[in-house]
Amino acid sequence: MDHEVSPSPAPPRAVKRLQTAQLRLAAVALMTMMLGTVLDVFFRYAFNKPLRISYDLVESMLVIYVFHGVSSVFLARRNIVIDVIDSLVSPRILRGLAVIADIVSVMCLLLFLWGMYEPAMQAYQYGDRKIELGVPLYVLWGFALAGLLGTLVCAIAAFFHITLRQLRRQP
Amino acid sequence: MSPGIIGALGILSLLILLFIRIPVWAALTLVGFTGNCILSGLHSALSLAGTSAFDASSAYTLSVIPLFVLLGEVASNSRLSADLFNAARLLLSGVRGGLAIATIAASACFGAVCGSSIVTAATMTRIALPEMRKAGYDDRLATGALAAGGSIGILIPPSIILVIYASIAEQSVPKLFAAALLPGILLTALYMVVATGIAIAYPHYAPRMEKASARERWKALAGPWQFILLFIVTIGGIYAGIFSPTEAAAVGAFGSIVLGFLGRRLSWATLWRSIETSITTSCLLFVIIIGANLFSSFMVQTQFPTMLADGASAMNLSAPVVMIMIVLAYIVMGCFLEGIGMVLITVPVFLPLVVKFGYDPIWFSILVVIVVEVGLIHPPVGMNLFVIQAQAPDVRITSIYRGIVPFLIAPLILIVFLFLFPSLALWLPKLLYG
Repeated sequence: MDHEVSPSPAPPRAVKRLQTAQLRLAAVALMTMMLGTVLDVFFRYAFNKPLRISYDLVESMLVIYVFHGVSSVFLARRNIVIDVIDSLVSPRILRGLAVIADIVSVMCLLLFLWGMYEPAMQAYQYGDRKIELGVPLYVLWGFALAGLLGTLVCAIAAFFHITLRQLRRQP
Repeated sequence: MSPGIIGALGILSLLILLFIRIPVWAALTLVGFTGNCILSGLHSALSLAGTSAFDASSAYTLSVIPLFVLLGEVASNSRLSADLFNAARLLLSGVRGGLAIATIAASACFGAVCGSSIVTAATMTRIALPEMRKAGYDDRLATGALAAGGSIGILIPPSIILVIYASIAEQSVPKLFAAALLPGILLTALYMVVATGIAIAYPHYAPRMEKASARERWKALAGPWQFILLFIVTIGGIYAGIFSPTEAAAVGAFGSIVLGFLGRRLSWATLWRSIETSITTSCLLFVIIIGANLFSSFMVQTQFPTMLADGASAMNLSAPVVMIMIVLAYIVMGCFLEGIGMVLITVPVFLPLVVKFGYDPIWFSILVVIVVEVGLIHPPVGMNLFVIQAQAPDVRITSIYRGIVPFLIAPLILIVFLFLFPSLALWLPKLLYG
């Protein structure tokens, strides 16, 4: 078991900024999840008045956390891969496999983007909301789609600026 | 082509994709999506892909993952493990192999808060290995104790693998945490017995150390109070029914941050680093969970697990024989599959089979975690062994391999105990939750 090939060339500045912004958004979502839950527990046991929104808050923040935090995984090429083949084939073949892995990853991200578009539009048309928090579900779908789009940009950047460069550079 | 054959081909394709270094999440997604496409059409498969990604990312039960990972990262960066090891070291001073036993005890306790084997092994190696070397311990015993102790982290609650298992098997997280406690304690004790046995059989591996005074021991007990407080609040809170797992994780993470700042063990920079690492670590798991959900839907449609069960019945295989075959399959897979990936790939296939043969899914979860633990420490590819070598590059990997071999007997004994006494895993959840 291993993580993907470690990066050597840095990604373009704009992509790095996008990933940093997404990382910060995910960090805010994580802190909100934590503090919201702690406040709920505190009010429940101290004043017998739980925060009724805490359940919805956690679910909503988790959407933002996952879809925006995941771009760091792709840009840092941290996805888990099984490395039993490493000792069996030449480095040249391994670099070729890294290209295939990146293409498959980008394809899968596109697939999710495609698959999420229709339910996101339906959420917009029906206008459903989170019961306690009152946030329209399409807002959360919007955050999810935006996060996924950012992740796709990071995955493509990792492919062009890391994998392909490594492939060209090394004999 | 029957759905069962399509399922078998799907599993074969998945193994091929994993073998050629396709990331675990992408391999699961690709096979799951293609399979769903074949069985229920493109539109239905696309809709499933979109909604399952969103549903997994907004599941309240899974929010426990980032919060416990954050708790573990903050605890690791606040040097709580050093206090723990110091307390265990002084309490066990004078005992033959005391430092190795202290390492296992401290690793188990740290793993109980941290929930990650790799983080526990890495952290404890940095703290305990120099102490053991200074005391003249043989590298084989020292690294064996570190690798074994580190692996307990995924069994003793909170365990991220158990949360993931709960989400796939639709089980209650608190019940699984309760089920893991006794086997976790027993495994820790078994590892300690192995360490003591090695120290007695090979006295030069573990020179006897000077006994600390009663006052020193008493004083040492107060050292890890922050850790004890965190453990009581988080895990105690879940068992007592005061907190849900998510609440316990949030309170624990918040508490560790407050204690870190109050004790001046945590700075803003370290906190940010902890948050950053938690985001990467947990999002990495979430993409795999999303892929596994697709794969799992595909497996359900193919009824491949039912086909396996029918095949086993047709061959007149008894329930214990089937379970032994499953355990052996896990141990073999552990040679090349990563723990969480292995759970996500295999549970949708094996669980229906296990349930059909009359075993409890909660009991099976503990068995799965133990075999994943074995995978973490068995040569030649146990992840914990590489983590230890990365922290101590001057220790030869062959020494680490030799050191871990006697410790492998402990989880194997525990597996036998679980088969003989299933109540080891089932008694506490029944007592607490009925």
